Amino acid sequence: MIGIRHILVIVGLWATIVFFAWILSKYLETVYGDKESKLDRIFIPVENFIYGLIGLDKNKTMKWKEYFLNVLIFSAFSAVVSFLILYYQGYLPINPMHFPDLSWSLALNTAMSISSNTNLQHYGGGSSLSYLSQMVGIQFLQFTSAATGLAVAVAIFRGFAGKKNQTEGLGNFYVDLVRSLTRVLIPLSFIFAIIFIIIGIPQSLSGYTLVRTLSGSEQILKIGPVASLVSIMQLGTNGGGYFGANSAFPFQNPNPISNYIQMALMMIIPTSMPFLFGRMINRMGEGRTILIASYGLYAIDLIIAFIPVTVLGAGMEAGIGPFSSVFWTVTTTAFTTGSVNASLAAFNPIVIIPAFMGMLIQATPGGIGVGTMYMLMYIVITVFIVGLMAGRTPEYLGAKITAGDVKLAVIGFLSHPIIILIPTVIAYAAGYVHAIGYGTGPTSFTQIFYEFTSAAANNGSDFLGTTGNTVFFNVSTAIVMWAGRFIPIFVMLAIAGRIQERRRSSEISLRTDDIIFPIVLIVSILILVILTFFPFLAIGPILMHLEGIKNAL
Amino acid sequence: MNKKYFTVPVRAAIVLAVICGLIYPVAVTAVGQGFIQYQANGSVALLNNTTVGSYLIGQSVTSPDLFNIRNDSASGVDPDITVVSALNQATIIHNNTNISMSYLQKLIHNNTRYTLLFFGTAYVNALRLNLELITAFHNRVTLYGEIYANITKS
Amino acid sequence: MHSDIKSDMNGSNSGRSHDEKVSWKNISFDSVLRLNPVKLISNPVMFVVELSFFVVLIMALDPSAFPDLAHQQDRLFYGVVSIILLITVWFSTLSDSIAEARSRATAEGLKKLEAETPAKRVHVKEDGGREIEEISSSELKKGDMILMSKGDQIPIDAEVSEGIAMVDESLLTGESAGVRKAKGDTLIGGSKVVSDSIIAIVTTDPEDTYIKKLVRMVESSKRPKTPNEVALSVLLLGLTGVFTIILIALIGLSVTLSLGADLSVLIALYVCLLPTTIGALLPAIGISGMTRMSKNSIIAKSGKAIETAGDADTILLDKTGTITIGNRLASEFIPVGKHTERELAEAAFLSSWNDDTPEGRSILELAFQKGFLPKEFDALREGVFEEFSAVTRRSGILLVDSDDFTLPKGGREFYQRHRFRKKFDLATTMVDDTTILKGAPESIKERTGTQNDEFDEVVNRVTSEGDTPIAVSIHGDVLGIIRFRDVLKRGIKEKILGLKKMNIRPIMVTGDHPLTAKSIASEVGITEFISQAKPETKYQKVKEEQAENRIVAMIGDGTNDAPALAAADVGLAMASGTFPAKEAANMIDLESDPSKIIDVVILGKQLLMTRGAVTTFSVTNDVAKYFAIVPIMFASVPALQALNFLQLTPHIAVLSALIFNALVIPALIPLSIRGTKFRPQSTLRIFMKNLLLYGVGGVILPFVAIKMIAIILVYAGGAL
Repeated sequence: MIGIRHILVIVGLWATIVFFAWILSKYLETVYGDKESKLDRIFIPVENFIYGLIGLDKNKTMKWKEYFLNVLIFSAFSAVVSFLILYYQGYLPINPMHFPDLSWSLALNTAMSISSNTNLQHYGGGSSLSYLSQMVGIQFLQFTSAATGLAVAVAIFRGFAGKKNQTEGLGNFYVDLVRSLTRVLIPLSFIFAIIFIIIGIPQSLSGYTLVRTLSGSEQILKIGPVASLVSIMQLGTNGGGYFGANSAFPFQNPNPISNYIQMALMMIIPTSMPFLFGRMINRMGEGRTILIASYGLYAIDLIIAFIPVTVLGAGMEAGIGPFSSVFWTVTTTAFTTGSVNASLAAFNPIVIIPAFMGMLIQATPGGIGVGTMYMLMYIVITVFIVGLMAGRTPEYLGAKITAGDVKLAVIGFLSHPIIILIPTVIAYAAGYVHAIGYGTGPTSFTQIFYEFTSAAANNGSDFLGTTGNTVFFNVSTAIVMWAGRFIPIFVMLAIAGRIQERRRSSEISLRTDDIIFPIVLIVSILILVILTFFPFLAIGPILMHLEGIKNAL
Repeated sequence: MNKKYFTVPVRAAIVLAVICGLIYPVAVTAVGQGFIQYQANGSVALLNNTTVGSYLIGQSVTSPDLFNIRNDSASGVDPDITVVSALNQATIIHNNTNISMSYLQKLIHNNTRYTLLFFGTAYVNALRLNLELITAFHNRVTLYGEIYANITKS
Repeated sequence: MHSDIKSDMNGSNSGRSHDEKVSWKNISFDSVLRLNPVKLISNPVMFVVELSFFVVLIMALDPSAFPDLAHQQDRLFYGVVSIILLITVWFSTLSDSIAEARSRATAEGLKKLEAETPAKRVHVKEDGGREIEEISSSELKKGDMILMSKGDQIPIDAEVSEGIAMVDESLLTGESAGVRKAKGDTLIGGSKVVSDSIIAIVTTDPEDTYIKKLVRMVESSKRPKTPNEVALSVLLLGLTGVFTIILIALIGLSVTLSLGADLSVLIALYVCLLPTTIGALLPAIGISGMTRMSKNSIIAKSGKAIETAGDADTILLDKTGTITIGNRLASEFIPVGKHTERELAEAAFLSSWNDDTPEGRSILELAFQKGFLPKEFDALREGVFEEFSAVTRRSGILLVDSDDFTLPKGGREFYQRHRFRKKFDLATTMVDDTTILKGAPESIKERTGTQNDEFDEVVNRVTSEGDTPIAVSIHGDVLGIIRFRDVLKRGIKEKILGLKKMNIRPIMVTGDHPLTAKSIASEVGITEFISQAKPETKYQKVKEEQAENRIVAMIGDGTNDAPALAAADVGLAMASGTFPAKEAANMIDLESDPSKIIDVVILGKQLLMTRGAVTTFSVTNDVAKYFAIVPIMFASVPALQALNFLQLTPHIAVLSALIFNALVIPALIPLSIRGTKFRPQSTLRIFMKNLLLYGVGGVILPFVAIKMIAIILVYAGGAL
């Protein structure tokens, strides 16, 4: 099914994204670095006003522990704001459709899902959330979780860049957070929201409208603040759509143009992060390594996904077509966004394997900010083994990798299988899977395994959807999402904080900025991930494929 | 941990909730409703100046005289059908209504879009085809006339 | 013994059997004792393999203990699996035992040097008188005063406080010549006094001597672990954790999804997944790394120092002792004017007769070789002989006038000191009014008032060739010049080339004139050198290099070197050096051979590489074993048999993979103990070579080997 023209579409989109990501990274350097920007005159007064409102001393720099604690506490309080809005939405204004309160477990799941940049949707957005919930419950957290990802990434980059002066820490979390919002996410989201409206995505606060169709029946047109949400949910690799069907719902993704703009939006910031890393550590070659490794793995995923012939079938939109559906599905998991433009159940199980890979690796290129962070974690582990093989104490960017760093990186890597596999087994063993009407076959296993993988990887795409709205799945995935978000952030901030203090050697004996290292990195990531998860893929999608189950329904 | 440790994050959460959750979407809505009203309100479809739905939301029809959408799709409201499917349905419509194949083919051709803009799968919006058919033939085809009359009545 | 130690450099082990009389009986016994799970807990990978053994053993004894997981109910199969698992653990403990036995053999050899010896402790009585007490060396304490006379073995490390004596350190250093020890010099326990008597102050407690440190270093329990070994253990622990979670999840899913996987097969997969190869061999690699250090007579004060040495970017090399053998030696007599070579040589001979510096001796040697023996020689021989004494520093002939002329020790300052022999007065009965002057050309000219163009020209020529000219005159008449030149150490050029291939910058440090320094440096291929170096120059250079973020290794022996040794990332002190130098350094070379620094770098790299190679091999092996077993795990799910590309039946697959898994360990014991071959190459090339050899090889080998073992098993099964 895939021809040369399709390959040109992929390559063309990639080239465009990489080009704009490179330009964006220059701008991002002024956002997070010391360089002055022409836009300072506009932004600085706004930012100072915000700092004043939140009572921040913007000149205070934070060491890694303080930075992490603030990330965690701020995320918790934002989640509390969202939880309260969702839990009490029936009593709150801007609810023209008079939707009732969400249950405590669903409100908890949703607040923790969006605040962890996961956007697992056990709620049907179009059929159960008020406008206020969509805006303050969801959209607000989509902004802050994306901004938190960016802030964490630049803090980590500063650590790897090393010390410029004695007092330097990893930066100030709130300054990074606010500047991510005022200078990057809000302006870009605003511009693209307007573009989305022009293309046909609704933006209204005046309530759903009821129409009589040609055949005389009644139809509800679910219009609302959709365009403003879609732009930040893609740009911030959140993925939580306005509607349960996400970008497969025509109001959220009306045509091929909106489809590709949305894909471009989810790709642009994660792709610019390796460039930003290169700029911040002053070695563009190191950024290139991360980019090549990420896109190399992304390419491998795409190749696997296009092995089976996917035809337009149940669960796909005719206006999007099979090619764009598969391309999107791999991309949304590769960038751990989780928005979908077709039902996952529509695909051949083989397509689900690369979707899993994206979520198990989380750095292909991964979510906003955190994707590059995961790649740095893999680099620490890979450089360690490679250094040993070359007869030198392993070092990255001239800093020696010590037992403490390896311990942290291993904790980061180890947490992923734990938070995926243990809840999966519990869900089966304690009968919770049976309770939602699922059996023990490979199809059901694939969907449950996918649920926790998606939660742990802060992806958010899933098979269950509103079926997952049970106390067990709401609470268990909520815990998994936060563990999957904040354990790796803790680990990598700690490594960055340690590396920042370390003496750097100038003689780079084993280069990490040539073409060999990204290949070694890709192979080592694949080995680590495949060794860990292959048996589970075998009894899931691979078994489905071998048993001749044509799609995941 | 002292209380001061929590004041900044709590205030940040509230301030940013207002900025990102209220000011931003309201500003986007203002621009949308002010300048791009048609799309912002859901690209509604009109028949004889009456709203009959949205071009973006598919409508199932029971009669073989009209183009029908697929019932199995992710959203369930896919407004588009492939050109192949449209041409198949056109044969049936032609047989039932005597509308000429060449008219139907031209209609489909004029509304054809491609999933990759210039190539890819060809598709058409079923509602758009139906509205054009009804507008053009409500005097000749019984069903079309009924629909036209009902719409105008309400 | 000593020549063997030197030949062992770079891991070649030939001809070392005599000091490694390892008893296989003891090793086997020891390795079985190590199977004790409590002892094994320090090696988590092997510990969990042993736990797995117990689980499968229970399955063999009573399959009904695991109703949902022992589907195959085949007790023989479970029994065989459990035995293979136990053997896997045993291979691991065996490698530890072998490595330790070898270390111990090395240590024992060293311990003999310091076996209990009688010692004479000096007590100072209240009236100032002294009393000698005969005790055993083990009773000595730091600060005790001890007396040693001719023929005594030095019982413990000490510092000379009174007297001068010649000491034979050959057992430790391999240098056969006796070493003169005077106040302030260091005595190493185990060496022997060959003349005179000395009193010394004990500088260490008996359990803290250098030899004890060396012995301790090779004993695994007290072995200092290197930072990378610690980091690798963490990684292995992490991998064990990951695979334990997989095992638990698979057990859980196998029951809840009714996949019918057998626990023994799951455990087999688990064991194959674990990095058993590196886990089993990691301790042995560490022990052997230390053993290689100790065989080179190097004491590392910390594990870190060994690995840091492997990372050195810059090495400061002392010219003297590292690049050239100790001193400049006379190589040519160049007469001037009407004088003949014989005249010059004979005068030089006479002037050097009582000069026991290496330079002086080299003059005698050169003259003797060339047959220039002065006619006075016979008379000398008939003179009054004096037995050699370290106090007078001469032997052979009684001298009437022993003016304090000495050629300064060490070639480096030879040229700069303007001392010369004022008057050489042999016994007046033999040579009357003979005044031979020998010294630096300028001072001889000044002294004799000579104006001689030819002399100046010769001096300039010799100087410009990087050599040192020494003038000789008799009765105010200049006879000519003796050319002193540096003699390169054997193999030094190759070693320097090796350093450059490893991208390590050698910098030569010397007190010589720049011309001299340049000549030597270019001869051995060194481009950077520091001439006319003062003691503090090394410290400055270390700091300079470190400021540019380079890792610096250096050697030193004098107190002057102590700050630089302390500042350097790798500081190697000579055992013969002063106490402060040894305190400041992080390694000590008992052989006091400055060129060892290069070997230390190579040993550091070799240790890392051996570990890296086995790690890579172990991990890539896992990948291959893994894909052989995963399809077997779900043998009851027919569709998954499509993945079984080796076409193995469940029992055969499990047994073959486990047998392979176990056999890899003993197969790699020699590599682990010997270390990977190390040829100086750029880091990238080394890495690529190892990646291909151990990485790609590690993936391919298991598939082939497992299939072959399977064929053999099937054949053997059929034959039965």
